[in-house]
Amino acid sequence: MKFLKLDIQLFAHHKGQGSTSNGRDSAGRRLGAKAADGKFITAGSIIYRQRGTKVFPGTNVRRGKDDSLFATVDGIVKFERLGKDKKQASVYPVGE
Amino acid sequence: MIQVKVEKDHAKYQKVTILGHAMYDDYGKDIVCAAASSIVITTVNGILALDKGSLSYMVSKKGMTIDIKNEDSTTQLLVGNMVSLLKELEQNYPTNIEVK
Repeated sequence: MKFLKLDIQLFAHHKGQGSTSNGRDSAGRRLGAKAADGKFITAGSIIYRQRGTKVFPGTNVRRGKDDSLFATVDGIVKFERLGKDKKQASVYPVGE
Repeated sequence: MIQVKVEKDHAKYQKVTILGHAMYDDYGKDIVCAAASSIVITTVNGILALDKGSLSYMVSKKGMTIDIKNEDSTTQLLVGNMVSLLKELEQNYPTNIEVK
């Protein structure tokens, strides 16, 4: 018989390793700007992915059913102020 | 609660079974468990140091069983000392350890 190791908590209650029902999360939705200010984009291109209207649709821009903003014409992207505290995205055809 | 069961035959210690947990405090801070563990481990290692064949033990999550093989006076004296110390501990912490 070998010697016992000195474990002075030999008769102590091991705190049960509780389990948690958390620990799940969905993948990131990669929201945000998809076209930079001043960049040339084609009609139908996505400008901004969002939930709700962080950025509002401006000139030549419309909002999709998932609130994404997309261009309705080819042109240059412009992010502008809308009123006191809002933003909008517009697309201006080149040469306008 | 730690439950210590002492089995004797013709006034000779035959077997000591130590089951349960002291539940005095959280793991790492349980002083009653520390005392009981130290008393038992010191005695077992002491007896084994004198004669490796004088006892055998089995440790599990539930506790520990010590089978005493030698009935020589030294082994019996050391086991008796362990039991009396555990009884003394029981007097101080009756809700955490019981010796029968």
